Amino acid sequence: MSTKYYLPEDKTPLPPKGAEVLTTCCDYCIVACGYKIYRWPSNAPDGGPKANQNAFGMNFPTGAMQAWVAPTQHNTVMHKGKPHNVVIIPDKDSKVVNVGGDSSIRGGCIAQKVYNPNTPTRDRLMSPLMRINGLLQPVSWDLALDVAAEVGKHVIKDHGVNAYSVKTYSYQYMENTYAIKKFARRHIKTASFTFHDTPSDVTSTPGFRDAGFDNFGQAYSDWRDAETLMIAGTDPYETKTMVFTQFIKPAIDAGQKTIWLNPRETAGLAYAKSRGNAIHFQIYPGTDSLVLGAIARVILENGWEDKDWIDKWVNSMGESSSGFGQGTRNTPWQWRTTWGKFQTDGVYGKKGYKKWVTSQKEYEPEEAARIAGVSAADIRKAAEWMAKPRADGSRPKTSLGIEKGFYWSNNTGNTNAVSALAIICGAGGRPGQMVGRFGGHQRGGTGGGSYPRNKSPEKVAGRRRRSLDTDRWLVSGHTRFAHVIGTTWIQSMCGSGGLNAKFEELVTNNPNQVRSFDKAKIIATLKARADSGGMVVINQDIYLRDPIGSKYADIIFPAATWGEENFTRANGERRLRLYSKFYDAPGDAKPDWWIIAEVGKKMGFDGFDWKDSNEVCEESARFSRGNRKSYHMIMIAARAEGKTLHEKLRELGTEGIQGPTYYNYETGELSGSVRLHDTTLTEVDLEKKYGSNGFQRANVVNKKVTHFNSQTGKNNIQKHPWSLFSDYWSWMKPKDDELWHTNGRINEVWQSGFDDLLRRAYIAQRWPENWVEIHPDDAAARGIESGDQVVMYSNRIPNHVDTIKAVGGKDFQFSELLKRGHIKLSEGAATAVAIVTPAVKKGVMFSYFLDPRQPSNILQGRVVDNISGNYNYKMGVARIKKVGESKYKSEFRSFSFAPRNIV
Amino acid sequence: MTDLKKKEDQTAAEHGKCMLNRREFLMYSGTAAVAVSTVSLSLFPGTAKARVVGYPRKKIGKLSQLKENQLVGFAYPDDKAQNFLVKMDGAKAGGGLGPKRDVVAFSYVCTHQGGPMVGTYKAIGPHRVMGQCPLHLSTYDLTRNGIIVSGQAYQSLPQVMLELDGDDIYAVGVMGLLYGRHDNLQS
Repeated sequence: MSTKYYLPEDKTPLPPKGAEVLTTCCDYCIVACGYKIYRWPSNAPDGGPKANQNAFGMNFPTGAMQAWVAPTQHNTVMHKGKPHNVVIIPDKDSKVVNVGGDSSIRGGCIAQKVYNPNTPTRDRLMSPLMRINGLLQPVSWDLALDVAAEVGKHVIKDHGVNAYSVKTYSYQYMENTYAIKKFARRHIKTASFTFHDTPSDVTSTPGFRDAGFDNFGQAYSDWRDAETLMIAGTDPYETKTMVFTQFIKPAIDAGQKTIWLNPRETAGLAYAKSRGNAIHFQIYPGTDSLVLGAIARVILENGWEDKDWIDKWVNSMGESSSGFGQGTRNTPWQWRTTWGKFQTDGVYGKKGYKKWVTSQKEYEPEEAARIAGVSAADIRKAAEWMAKPRADGSRPKTSLGIEKGFYWSNNTGNTNAVSALAIICGAGGRPGQMVGRFGGHQRGGTGGGSYPRNKSPEKVAGRRRRSLDTDRWLVSGHTRFAHVIGTTWIQSMCGSGGLNAKFEELVTNNPNQVRSFDKAKIIATLKARADSGGMVVINQDIYLRDPIGSKYADIIFPAATWGEENFTRANGERRLRLYSKFYDAPGDAKPDWWIIAEVGKKMGFDGFDWKDSNEVCEESARFSRGNRKSYHMIMIAARAEGKTLHEKLRELGTEGIQGPTYYNYETGELSGSVRLHDTTLTEVDLEKKYGSNGFQRANVVNKKVTHFNSQTGKNNIQKHPWSLFSDYWSWMKPKDDELWHTNGRINEVWQSGFDDLLRRAYIAQRWPENWVEIHPDDAAARGIESGDQVVMYSNRIPNHVDTIKAVGGKDFQFSELLKRGHIKLSEGAATAVAIVTPAVKKGVMFSYFLDPRQPSNILQGRVVDNISGNYNYKMGVARIKKVGESKYKSEFRSFSFAPRNIV
Repeated sequence: MTDLKKKEDQTAAEHGKCMLNRREFLMYSGTAAVAVSTVSLSLFPGTAKARVVGYPRKKIGKLSQLKENQLVGFAYPDDKAQNFLVKMDGAKAGGGLGPKRDVVAFSYVCTHQGGPMVGTYKAIGPHRVMGQCPLHLSTYDLTRNGIIVSGQAYQSLPQVMLELDGDDIYAVGVMGLLYGRHDNLQS
């Protein structure tokens, strides 16, 4: 398949009996299904259809749910320099996650991701590149590394560490993230450091953190075992497929009630509705906290809350103050000093949450329903489903899961509201009664150094500093060296037009451009660029990305990825697995840990002499102690058995082990953790894990295992004032013929865009261009039909500028920023193909967020959340008009305009 | 869908370019026919006679007897593979046969995990889909060569290529691997 056209094939090779078998997990979404790789030399015969002729031991044709190989699951790779066949299919023996070998469309086609020069993967980066005379030309590793290190050292010396900005993925394996953090945070110590999905290194879910909830405390079985499940800001069928098909769908079939907050209706939501036990709050973007607050209010007014749970597990004012305002005053909650805006005296009493939520007009069900565009009757019904005790006094088991549509709309308000609602429903610390994130990327981050917050020049009111906003820092011209690892940076942020223009000004339009092959001259030129106020860009990635690589990078380092190195990572229930290397990385590509180690050594840093990825993983292990996916004790077990950490993980296969892990020195048994905050665990359970008489030796058992992440181990129930966000919401609200514009992910392209959109023939045929869903009434009013080429545009995209020190408590409030000139309005536009469908709410448009060719994030407001510092990416408005007809309107090869909510 | 009808064959040439894998479905002009059957494939409007090597030619129905949106089951390429033939009430389709190009045939078996798609045909406005599959909810667009609308399959729903000979409809090939098989012609 050497074309991006999908050519359906009618046969596929079967792995022969005796083919080598390796385990891995899917590279894409948080769920991380288990996969098996069957590998055999290209010059050896393929397997046959008889059970004794193939590696599956199955007679073909096989039946439903049995082992099968689709043509898209086979590929040819180089292994130790010789061509081999590989078949990569979901692990049919899997007893966890993708039980029985289920899979999503993304993982199902993962064999197409591996490098094969006969496929659209042929543009993998194979050699270091340097921009000379405007062209990216192959150079040696030595030259590229020397120049990067010399210029980097110079920038740090002459312009300070914060002039060296590191923008990196947070998730692409423990080995790489450990090396990157060790380099950036332990050695360079730059405050200009952040991850792919946020302008500054801040928590994604401030409300969870302050309430004491871990993002990923739950086991997948908790979503299944809930009797009522709230799903906010996502459809897990689309973006956590196995969580839906293996856990939630069977529960829905057995009568689980589901409550959804989502401006659109996709397949999983439509299925739940078709079973008759779902409520869909089809809200306007940003109004989630109103609906949640109103549900909480109805519960409390009716006395349906879980009083026993609240008595035991909710902090009073004194308890919540006990960890704050004391000593170093450095708890995260305190650093966001909020002067009483959030803190309560528990649920009851004069300063209790109940008193507050029942006194706010916007949490009256009718008022909340009016603003959010939903039904007040549904709010009351949801309250019943979540909390009303049954006649016999027993309570429904309720769990609550959130994801980006929710926490990237009103970051602090929404996450505070869901935490409060969870607490009064008694959720958070028991099987089937949990609250957490469904998840985005897999969890592959591990500590290599702490963030140097005290070096950040940005301050919010009070005494606290906030992590540096790397976008505003760059736009202000302070970044002289941008080290970009595995992210597009520009399109993945919002209001991205302004960011792009600044890159162009600082990099391309600076007069100091490399014209020579002489190392000393190259270094001098790039130093002169930084000294003149410009910026030098280096980029590590697997493909040349536009524009960060293709237009701006001075040096590109080719990275090796999934399948090309042994790597370790955890999924959304903290399940740790080894991702096996099974083929040779293309050309001269190297894993990111190796690239970082080489740059680090050349910059004079110590501690980068690793010989393989296992060594990096073993070094990193002790820094994982105490965190949710602690894998240190796997290494202790490995050592006791004379194995390496990677060897031990390989032994655990696709089942892996759920962090945090423990080692019982008495029995030699390694064990994991089904969930965090598990208030049902007994002393006996714990002794089995780490031995009698308290936890022993290297075992770390902290509060989050059996309690919550707060100073007392109990939850803080917090207020969620609408007023912190309502000025932005009201300003943003569509005017004239504007519509809300929100965006997000879709099933077919989910944490896999770098492979899918451009290089997977089948997906490229399904989604050849970006698209926008628009309601039939909105479309008719604008003369738009499905298949029309449209442009979405706005001339009032708010861009937050300037790194500021706030003095007054309201200085980061949107209306204050606007008044003081820290908000600049810009224009932006993105084209798309229209899909007219009633599946999206009237007045709201929805597009895919990160098609690199038509990045719709350009329309989203670049204003950070008042309290947390995150972007509220889902908030945007735009006009839309037809500019012509796409060819997809009149041909049948690509695209589909059928609605996704057909059941 | 009315717009689709206006643009009769506008992009047929481009459409035809990619609809068959030539390595797997060797296509010959009619005059060079040596084996199997000679068919006028609806997938290649304007290419007159063509045929698909290896696949049997099997009569599966009569155009005049098809009722709108009523599925007719048939086995093809052998008696172990279940498919359906449907006239989609004027919804023009990629690979569609007949004056309205609305007659198509597909496998009944979901290509994700082999779920049975019987009874899931839907005609909603201009849309014609199969699904949701009872196992994992995949849906397929029958007007667009069975491409996935939403769901988890790794390929389109296999489409049976049809030939119209007078009033008789013949199955002459299959695009895409049938679930459970490693080769469409081995069972």
